[in-house]
Amino acid sequence: MIPEELQDQAALYALGALDPAETAVFEKALSDDASLRTLVRELRDASAALTHSVPLEIPPPELKRRILSSIALEKQEGSVAVSRKTSGIPVWLPWAIAALLLIFCGVLAVDRLTLRRELTDIVAADALAKMTIVTLTSPTPGHESSKVAVAWQPDQQSGMITVSGMEPAGPGRDYQLWAVDANHPDPINAGIIHIDPNGTARVRFRPDQKAMQIKAFAISLEREGGVPKREGPIVMIGNA
Amino acid sequence: MAPSQSESDRARLAAVAKGDQKAFSQLYDRLSGPLYSLALRMLGDAAEAPDALQDVFLQIWRRASAYDPAQSSVFSWAVLMTRSRVIDRLRARGRRSRVVVYQPGECNIHEAISPDASTEESAADTVGKNDEAARVRSILNQLPSDQREAIELAFFSDLTHHEIAQRLNQPLGTIKARIRRGLLRLKERIAV
Repeated sequence: MIPEELQDQAALYALGALDPAETAVFEKALSDDASLRTLVRELRDASAALTHSVPLEIPPPELKRRILSSIALEKQEGSVAVSRKTSGIPVWLPWAIAALLLIFCGVLAVDRLTLRRELTDIVAADALAKMTIVTLTSPTPGHESSKVAVAWQPDQQSGMITVSGMEPAGPGRDYQLWAVDANHPDPINAGIIHIDPNGTARVRFRPDQKAMQIKAFAISLEREGGVPKREGPIVMIGNA
Repeated sequence: MAPSQSESDRARLAAVAKGDQKAFSQLYDRLSGPLYSLALRMLGDAAEAPDALQDVFLQIWRRASAYDPAQSSVFSWAVLMTRSRVIDRLRARGRRSRVVVYQPGECNIHEAISPDASTEESAADTVGKNDEAARVRSILNQLPSDQREAIELAFFSDLTHHEIAQRLNQPLGTIKARIRRGLLRLKERIAV
């Protein structure tokens, strides 16, 4: 049974009512699914029948003569071209040209692959270069065994915090992450960090406000659910 | 047993692919009326429709060998080609198709056929075509009007489903469902 969503797409495809991007995606699905191809064929035939709903008009009589003359001319030119081709040119020449083109295409394809790989490496290196890594430590006794690192991408305005060896916050409490930014008087809330029973956490975060000049990241111990402005003690902090 | 219209079309197109001009002429007689009517309806211009039809038949002549019976009937293939050529022309004109939604009973199909038409089509073919046209119209008229409207807009114009939803001032999901239900119903009834 074809899912309803795919049937929708099939109907729109048969009517030519998908936009080019949707068409490309649907054609990929079509190439992998024989039952979908059958449905499209049937829907195409059904939609083509709509042509019969238009009042029948007869084309101008001279049109047929015009078209027949054109194809006769094309056929004649085609045979002349074929006879020209077969008369003076060695039989092997087109094959040799085709082989050369094939080799040339192969070289281009390899070149393209290499360039693509280099581009991917450059993009990855660029992303890494822009990333800031901050290690947080405990300013007071009690969390010395905790290991906390933040990877921050300013252009994405998002980051990832990784925690290990940290005690859970305890009942009615939550750890909260803060971004200390030069352009904001107060630390910016970056979300709650839930520590699992093994003492670890891995959380993707996005600060509440835009932070373009981060000086430090800090974790405080707050009321359960977090607070809009820091109230509790700082348990971990690290300069960017 | 006589071959079906669809089988005859395939045989003619196969002959056209081998350069048979007589088969091409027969195919023209069989398809030109509906395809011309479609072009005329979409273009809304009697001066441009013959040129569009000429493009289509020259393409049929050149691409006959590319026809794949697994993808569509010969008629559907030719209809697809016609829509495509007409849409090219509409885009070249830089305007969208003027869409005229068919009103039941607006035209007498017997009056629409010119008595002095100079095609070589047989009387039996013409009668057959009229029967088919009447049957399709009857099936279309049985569809809920909102489904028919959405399908006709999609088929006779160069509009995507997003544009159809905007034009009919309906949510996109509603338009998709109308088109799917309508076309599936059309498929089932036409197949009977």
